[in-house]
Amino acid sequence: MTDTAENKVAELRARARWYRLLAGVFAEEPKAEFLRELRSDNCLGAMADLGVTFDEDFIRAETTELLETLACEYTMLFVAPGGFPPVESVRLQGGFRQSANSEVMRLYAAEGFSIRSDGFVTFDDHLAVEMGFVAVLLERQADALERDDATEARRLDKGVKRFWVQHLGKWVRGFSALLEEAADHSFYREMGILLNAFAVAELELLELEVADGDGGRWRAPKPESIDKPMQCGGPINESTAVG
Amino acid sequence: MLKLTRRDFIKTSAITTGAVAVAPSMLQAMENELGGKDFSPETLAERNAIPTNCHVCNIQDGAVAFVEDGRVVKLEGNPNHVSTRGRLCAKGNAGMWYSYDPDRILYPLKRVGKRGEGKWKRISWDEALAELVSKIDEVLKNGDPNEIMLKYGRNRTGGVLHRFMDTLGSATVLNHTSVCESSKKVGMEPTWGPDIETPDFANSKYILNFGSNVLEAAYFHNPYSQRITEGRVDSNAKIVTFDVRLSNTAGFSDEWIPVLPGTDGAVALAIGHVILREDLQDSDFIEDWTNVTLAELKEHYQQFTPEWAAAISDVPAETIERIAREFALAKPATTYTYRGPAKHLYGSYNEKACMMLSIMTGNVEKRGGYCLPRGMGYDQPQPQPPKPKHDSILKNPPEFPLASHHVSHLVPFWIAEGRQKISVYINYMDNPVYTNPGADTVWGRLFRDEKLIPFRVVLSPFMGEEAQLADIILPDVPYLERWEPESMPNSLWPWLGIRQPVIPAMGEGKETKVYLQEIIERLDPDGSRDMKKYWNFKDPEDYMRQQFENVPGLKEAGGLEWLKKHGVWPIYGKLDPSSGKITDKTGREIRAEYGLHKKELSAGDMLGASVDEHGGIHKNGKAIGVKRDGKNYVGFPSGSRLINVRVDEWAKYGFNPMPTFKTIPWHENLKDDEMILTTYKYNVHVQSRTQSVKWLAELVHTNWAPINTETAKRIGVKTGDKIRVESEVGYLITKAYVTEGQHPKVIAISTACGHWGYGRLAQLKLKEKGGQYGADEDADLNNVWWEDKGVHPNDIIPAVADPIGGSAGWYDTVVKVTKAGPDDKYGYIEASWEKHVEWFKKTMSFSYVGDQHRKMHPEMAAWAGPDSVEPKKPSGH
Repeated sequence: MTDTAENKVAELRARARWYRLLAGVFAEEPKAEFLRELRSDNCLGAMADLGVTFDEDFIRAETTELLETLACEYTMLFVAPGGFPPVESVRLQGGFRQSANSEVMRLYAAEGFSIRSDGFVTFDDHLAVEMGFVAVLLERQADALERDDATEARRLDKGVKRFWVQHLGKWVRGFSALLEEAADHSFYREMGILLNAFAVAELELLELEVADGDGGRWRAPKPESIDKPMQCGGPINESTAVG
Repeated sequence: MLKLTRRDFIKTSAITTGAVAVAPSMLQAMENELGGKDFSPETLAERNAIPTNCHVCNIQDGAVAFVEDGRVVKLEGNPNHVSTRGRLCAKGNAGMWYSYDPDRILYPLKRVGKRGEGKWKRISWDEALAELVSKIDEVLKNGDPNEIMLKYGRNRTGGVLHRFMDTLGSATVLNHTSVCESSKKVGMEPTWGPDIETPDFANSKYILNFGSNVLEAAYFHNPYSQRITEGRVDSNAKIVTFDVRLSNTAGFSDEWIPVLPGTDGAVALAIGHVILREDLQDSDFIEDWTNVTLAELKEHYQQFTPEWAAAISDVPAETIERIAREFALAKPATTYTYRGPAKHLYGSYNEKACMMLSIMTGNVEKRGGYCLPRGMGYDQPQPQPPKPKHDSILKNPPEFPLASHHVSHLVPFWIAEGRQKISVYINYMDNPVYTNPGADTVWGRLFRDEKLIPFRVVLSPFMGEEAQLADIILPDVPYLERWEPESMPNSLWPWLGIRQPVIPAMGEGKETKVYLQEIIERLDPDGSRDMKKYWNFKDPEDYMRQQFENVPGLKEAGGLEWLKKHGVWPIYGKLDPSSGKITDKTGREIRAEYGLHKKELSAGDMLGASVDEHGGIHKNGKAIGVKRDGKNYVGFPSGSRLINVRVDEWAKYGFNPMPTFKTIPWHENLKDDEMILTTYKYNVHVQSRTQSVKWLAELVHTNWAPINTETAKRIGVKTGDKIRVESEVGYLITKAYVTEGQHPKVIAISTACGHWGYGRLAQLKLKEKGGQYGADEDADLNNVWWEDKGVHPNDIIPAVADPIGGSAGWYDTVVKVTKAGPDDKYGYIEASWEKHVEWFKKTMSFSYVGDQHRKMHPEMAAWAGPDSVEPKKPSGH
């Protein structure tokens, strides 16, 4: 393998790791071990180098409390009604399990994968699954290059590009911009920023031009706070009064 | 060489028209297949058609789900279904959006912070069930099982919820029927047995409709609108509708006769008066099949003159006289009612008065007449748990001994006054915070009170107003993902059907019987508590198999496997594309069976039976039939086997046992600026569950209040102007819709609008800053063009209850309607719990133990009073 090829392999594996990291962030509520790694000096330093700067609520918070806070934040952002699930069908097609779900499922199957849910049952077109799939393709591409299988590497490269054109590229940027705006906690705010930057960089690297069909327009309204309890007919103020 | 130009084609085409008409054609439009098949417009592949049963509302239409690539892409009617004959209404067509709703709850949620704060944490099923089971277990070990309360709304689980509560030993099972049609049921049941009628509209010559918008909303609008149309077209039936508003049913009728709310009963009695006065009744039927004589009936009806009714109802006496003669002379004819007459203080009397017209004219159980409902039963898996040892005072309040469908809408007041302790409140497909009188002011207050309701679990896939006030939400699944048995008397042909999952459950949604079984297994893991044995099924399909495996006829046809394939059993015939009717091999419509009461008892039935001097046939201390003209008939399923025009049990509690009418006291002497507030339902919505369904929300999303032209002029408003509607318990600000199609003394505000829960579409949250839909592949969601979600009326409606049937007096609220001031905000609602409590006390005073009861029943002066009867004594604590 040439130096160039070695560099390419290293790059593919590095990109795959970022995909996996981001997939982990969005797959479910953070677990203690994942948080410990993310809050390690190395990781925080690497993030900071990229411009990802968490607030004290992430860096200094006591672990148990942080786990609970992020679990609630995750639920309100991505799970509870009124939130914005990181699911392609919802983002682009207005409902769960629309055609995007079947399309990605077929792509996974063609590569020999099916969805696995260790924790909560999820959707094939969930952001974490889509990101995880690209990670696998990149790793396989790296493997192919290592064994000098240029044909397979090319096929996988095309697969990644196609997946971005048909799926991730159409919604991830808008979604991440929305997340940046809607998140209360600096962890999800910064992950939204990171995801956005990552998506832009990947599209540039892949030399793709894909229109953002999401646009971050479907935004979760914040729940009514306890200071403004629900009243008959809903909260009463100018902004919610209709007509 | 032949050369044709465009001009040549145009010039010559007219000449070829005749030949074209007779030329053979090998193509037909796919839709001419009359359903049952569907094709992808992209791939042209036939879509997978899975029969099921609709459950957007409770008409229970046969449906077919077309599934393409794992998604339901279209719903239509099941052409094999004898009742609905291949048709679904708009609601049924949109049903898949329940499953795909982006605001659907897909995982168990636990509240964070205060109840109702709106903050949630996703938890596992294991955590959710562990918490719920610990609460239930605590009650079972240290309390009374009745402290576990379950209230359900649209329960079509086929007995699963009752099995669950019976297993726990709790009788505190409340339904929603008192806000539905319970006084209709209680008006009918003691009279002839069943709680509803099945008119043979298609073959009728005259349809007298009291307060039912049967073409759009009432039971059973899809199959009945088909039959009423056939009655009009094929049978030249005349349709007369009494209603406070010009509903589309009233508009379809030959005559719409506006009537003051709650006075249909007076009109019906006066029509009966004319029929009996002019000897237009069916004397033989009265003598043979009722428990009164013709002479008794004539004497009783003398008091109900058209002039008397006209003064009460605003219906002219001459109209009553004319309608009476028309109805009595048209044969066959039928009455029909729904909520209009029944949803009032004394709604049971109204219902009884209306059904009497079909009875006295002998139209009962005749072709084109007023028929008994036809249903089909299914089994319950064995063994079944025993019934709870002690009754619940909330379920069967002693003040309402005749309210066999309960008085659930008064439960918050009874819980608040400490009548029965509730430790665990389980909520299934029931949104009383929105749908009940008092709404959030009453039910919201109850649910927010953690002392009165220490633990609340909501079983729902949607964040309705009731779910917002839960401690834990378990993600149940919408109807296209469930197994349930179905049977509904929505035509003259009985049928059994199934709901089967046409797509797998999404996320971690689970069907009710699955997680209820898990709860029982956690409570009784080794079977030592005698609970587990009642939950012996492998999965929901197995549960269904047990329900259907021994149904005679179906068993031979293949049982559950038949139903999975066809969706409904039996298949009576083929749907004729030209007539839309189910026909036999000769092309004739399958005939219904009539005269069910004249089915003869077998020799075996008569073995050991005795016949009394009136022809009553008795066996083992029970009436089993009626002997007439030498034949032993089964009669009516009423206890006496006759139609009980006189209901003796009513007299026991000081109510008039004969058909009668009571004016609602606070409707008397209405002031000039006072009106009566009623509600109604749009044809594309159910009460609370459809404003989140995008196609339906686009069709109807707001509810400006219809108000009569003259009334509007008096108040000084025009369409679109803000109005203030004020009752004794609160007020709201809505907008007027000025129309001639409204009784001048009535203002109507529909349900289904003005949500403050049920997802962002229902609340129009998506219109807030930055919140609009951006789903660029879904044009529907980009087309949410409306900015008005309407105003919900229920907070200002007090919880009146019929002292007989227990029904909520939905249409009894007196309001003042005025032009809103400049500072009044559209959508503003204010109501008072304390004032609702005052009205609760007021309605209790009309119960048989209340001080208004005697005043309202001077004709029952001989009644010995409440102490003369043994009150029903359910256990409370």
